[in-house]
Amino acid sequence: MSGGPPKALPSTGPHSLRDMPHPLAGSSSEEAVGGDSTPSPDLLMARSFGDKDLILPNGGTPAGTSSPASSSSLLNRLQLDDDLDGETRDLFVTVDDPKKHVCTMETYITYRITTKSTRVEFDLPEYSVRRRYQDFDWLRNKLEESQPTHLIPPLPEKFVVKGVVDRFSEEFVETRRKALDKFLKRITDHPVLSFNEHFHVFLTAKDLNAYKKQGMALLTRVGESVKHVTGGYKLRSRPLEFAAIGEYLDTFALKLGTIDRIAQRIIKEEIEYLVELREYGPVYSTWSTLEGELAEPLEGVSACIGNCSTALEELTDDMTEDFLPVLREYILYSDSMKSVLKKRDQVQAEYEAKLEAVALRKEDRPKVPADVEKCQDRMECFNADLKADMERWQNNKRQDFRQLLMGMADKNIQYYEKCLMAWESIIPLLQEKQEAK
Amino acid sequence: MEQAPPDPERQLQPAPLEPLGHPDGGLETVVGEEVEGARDESPGDGTVRRRGGRGPGACVGAYNRNLMLFLFRSVEHIDGQSVLTDSLWRRYSEFELLRNYLLVYYPHIVVPPLPEKRAEFVWHKLSADNMDPDFVERRRIGLENFLLRVASHPILCRDKIFYLFLTQEGNWKETVNETGFQLKADSRLKALNATFRVKNPDKRFTELKHYSDELQSVISHLLRVRARVADRLYGVYKVHGNYGRVFSEWSAIEKEMGDGLQSAGHHMDVYASSIDDILEDEEHYADQLKEYLFYAEALRAVCRKHELMQYDLEMAAQDLASRKQQCEELATGTVRTFSLKGMTTKLFGQETPEQREARIKVLEEQINEGEQQLKSKNLEGREFVKNAWADIERFKEQKNRDLKEALISYAVMQISMCKKGIQVWTNAKECFSKM
Repeated sequence: MSGGPPKALPSTGPHSLRDMPHPLAGSSSEEAVGGDSTPSPDLLMARSFGDKDLILPNGGTPAGTSSPASSSSLLNRLQLDDDLDGETRDLFVTVDDPKKHVCTMETYITYRITTKSTRVEFDLPEYSVRRRYQDFDWLRNKLEESQPTHLIPPLPEKFVVKGVVDRFSEEFVETRRKALDKFLKRITDHPVLSFNEHFHVFLTAKDLNAYKKQGMALLTRVGESVKHVTGGYKLRSRPLEFAAIGEYLDTFALKLGTIDRIAQRIIKEEIEYLVELREYGPVYSTWSTLEGELAEPLEGVSACIGNCSTALEELTDDMTEDFLPVLREYILYSDSMKSVLKKRDQVQAEYEAKLEAVALRKEDRPKVPADVEKCQDRMECFNADLKADMERWQNNKRQDFRQLLMGMADKNIQYYEKCLMAWESIIPLLQEKQEAK
Repeated sequence: MEQAPPDPERQLQPAPLEPLGHPDGGLETVVGEEVEGARDESPGDGTVRRRGGRGPGACVGAYNRNLMLFLFRSVEHIDGQSVLTDSLWRRYSEFELLRNYLLVYYPHIVVPPLPEKRAEFVWHKLSADNMDPDFVERRRIGLENFLLRVASHPILCRDKIFYLFLTQEGNWKETVNETGFQLKADSRLKALNATFRVKNPDKRFTELKHYSDELQSVISHLLRVRARVADRLYGVYKVHGNYGRVFSEWSAIEKEMGDGLQSAGHHMDVYASSIDDILEDEEHYADQLKEYLFYAEALRAVCRKHELMQYDLEMAAQDLASRKQQCEELATGTVRTFSLKGMTTKLFGQETPEQREARIKVLEEQINEGEQQLKSKNLEGREFVKNAWADIERFKEQKNRDLKEALISYAVMQISMCKKGIQVWTNAKECFSKM
């Protein structure tokens, strides 16, 4: 997660990256930054399966046995998941094992998607497929199309400025993997989205491209109908609760944007501080070459500053890899949510317009025409779905941010602890000779 | 050129005033009593401990901002009783005068340096303004330190002019100038000349000069980078203050998360403001380094003096040798060396035997004088090397002690900073956990 220059991935081959921590591994950074929203069931599953999932390449330990912070946050996740209500989960999805594929036309990364389920829709108890980012993007679009009344989780950013970020560096791939894992887990958690046909195919199909080419494969009735709602209807009055949600999201996105800027600025300042420190430490070393009795103390101070520099670099790397992406995800999330809200507005507007048209016609039978009823249905479904999703979203947001911010605090604490240790350890060195004299 | 041995006129007579002159005596006792804590560990070895200097009643105390005068008290032991004399005022320029005087009369001593006149190596937040109260305060401490160093030096403390500096209210300047020390000062040009032309300086001094050059260079570098480090660190801490504001704004739209965010934001504000004290403390460390930066110059001054004396000696020896040769030539009639007389003789005719005798006689006198001079210069030179090297050894011990202590206090500062950081972030984490 930290330290030296970004390492390139090995090319296609039977073995995964040696240094990739297993997603169930107990690295606290992964825990703390909201990498998984539902690791606990996976963990329990893994234990009861007792399979090779627990062989961890870098010798890490399963999350449950690591720091107390992670186990208590696991409990939190269990308790706050209101979809469970005592029921056990029946669908587990994990994204791991990134691999680089080098083809004539392009080079890209694929990720392994492992699915375990007892649901009847799944023919097999376990599936393992490989997908690339493109496939996730496709999935998300399909979900938006087919479930327009629901909030679809965001994907990590699609485009990467070439030359600035190395798309194949270990850090970048790991960051993306975590985000993709989170994406799928959020869908898995969703009582409606997790049963979506496209999602099912994504998880299970050997050849996704063939399915993609089918084009209009399956559209739910709701999807079809909402898809055809065009703009052009003016909304009379937005129900208070949706107006409130809209306002909330606006402010929320603003604040997140500010936090993102602040975080970036802090990292920038820290990096500049690091640059100076890297010059500062060695000067003590140079000085020590001039001295006799002071040589060791000065060299000690130089080494100490070096250790602090390393700790600082780890901090900035962690913040860049774990903190910033999650913030950006939530900004994307609230953007996509706002478009869903707009769609809802449109559905309501259409209903109201049709209703008004009917009222104006007066000659109508007392019974409300079928298509107006349909519109009303549509609107009420939409409202219900959206409300439920919003509640779920608020809960998850709370957990995610609690975890994210605690993680940020943790990383800073660790940084200071490393520095503290370095300085405390040289005090005896500095004092030593003085007493001997 | 005069040497500056313990000169009875310049040194204080031991009898009535010894306690003040003694390293253990009056002046240090005052400081020890009036400033809490910080006494010297071992009074007998003339060490001086640097003080934090914020307390009142320190040796160099209050100041008048307009005129930059410094007040201090001195204590005389009269019949074993401590008596507080009137305090008096001194300007920075008078300190400079004192030091210049000491440099002239004690060239074999590594004379303690004065604090910088203008603020250098500042990082941006610190004012480079000489009138800035923080700068003035640090300079006050520096001047106090200077006096303490002089007072604890076994030789310098006995100096009469130094004593008068502490006690003579008016006309001290005239008294100093009357010593005529400015005239006795070696010209810079002469010293430079000697540095290049000397053939056989004592190797130890050559090494010492080299060391002091390197020391000056490395400490300058260190101070420059440290100032940049301080600048950057300041930036890091201060930007965190922005979290305070945005968390507060965010908490306004949140229900359950609001309290946690709000209180965490408060801790971010605390974190951001903590850097001011931290960096102020670090300035003291920088000042300790600066003192030794300036000490390097004092070391070089001693080396220069040696080179000058050595060069002088070499020149005198050369002169003597040349005269001896002349004499020999005249006596034997051979002309190997050029002399004006010889030339004119050639041009205008031989000189008479009487003339020649006269010249030989003059030369013989000069040779005698020269041999005497050479002898005494040799003696002076050896005395100088002996005394200077003794003081240099004393200085080295002092330097090692002081710098080690400075490094320890720097490490302690860093430890304190880390602990504060851990505390703040732990508090923030707790607030986040309640979100």
